Amino acid sequence: MKSMEASKLISFFEEDFCIFHLRSRKKMSVLTEMVHHLALNNRISDEQFIIEMLKNRESLGSTGLGNGVAFPHGRSLAIKELSVLFARSASGVDFDALDGKTTKLFFLILAPSDKGSDTYLAILSELIGLIQKPAKLKSLYEVTDFPSLVKILEEKDQ
Amino acid sequence: MKDEHRLLIALQDLDIMIKEVKDKVTSRELQSLGFKLTGLNELQDARDKLAKKVPRALLQRYEKLTQHYTVAILPVTGSLCLGCFVKLPTSFFSAVSRNELQTCENCGRLLYIP
Repeated sequence: MKSMEASKLISFFEEDFCIFHLRSRKKMSVLTEMVHHLALNNRISDEQFIIEMLKNRESLGSTGLGNGVAFPHGRSLAIKELSVLFARSASGVDFDALDGKTTKLFFLILAPSDKGSDTYLAILSELIGLIQKPAKLKSLYEVTDFPSLVKILEEKDQ
Repeated sequence: MKDEHRLLIALQDLDIMIKEVKDKVTSRELQSLGFKLTGLNELQDARDKLAKKVPRALLQRYEKLTQHYTVAILPVTGSLCLGCFVKLPTSFFSAVSRNELQTCENCGRLLYIP
């Protein structure tokens, strides 16, 4: 799998595509809230297609990998360009995570259908690598603004 | 956009997902990252259920195209077919009704104006 430079990874994050205080408390409503946020920022041509696609993806197996982090992802014709959305829930959500615990951090990764899966798999791989570092994960649980998020993602050896 | 075209787009999203899971390299990568891909049968069921809602002739056309292309239905952006990147003739746009699917004369993909 292709690896990715930290700076390249960070370039996919934008302040407009971050939700530091998710309102939703249930799995489907979290997905809907995140997709709606992307739609408000003109990254999606049709919310319903994306929600349906993400719902189907979850039926394949939960993207809640445990340790309080989920990586909903997929490809759809309704995605205009590769998009990464970060969302955080202070209280946590039951996302059917593999370890049965609540999920507090969400990295939504969406790619257009006509592009290959290479880039989004590389992003997934990099992010999953990052959350293996306990100190980084702990900082992410607490993050409430974009500059801090970028700093955490940039910092090495946490 | 007509409902049947919306169904076809949703079907294509599902087909791409199923294709990815069936692709050994991609599924191995996803599994190595920790994802459990145990619900392929559920996805296939959802796909079959959705396909039944698409008018037969349109479904057959779509499925014939998917034998050659991963993306068989596409929006028109600018004046290009984003499948084969050939410029669409001016006559294409005069003939197009916003509600109708059209065919790219070069590659045969189904096109719609978003």
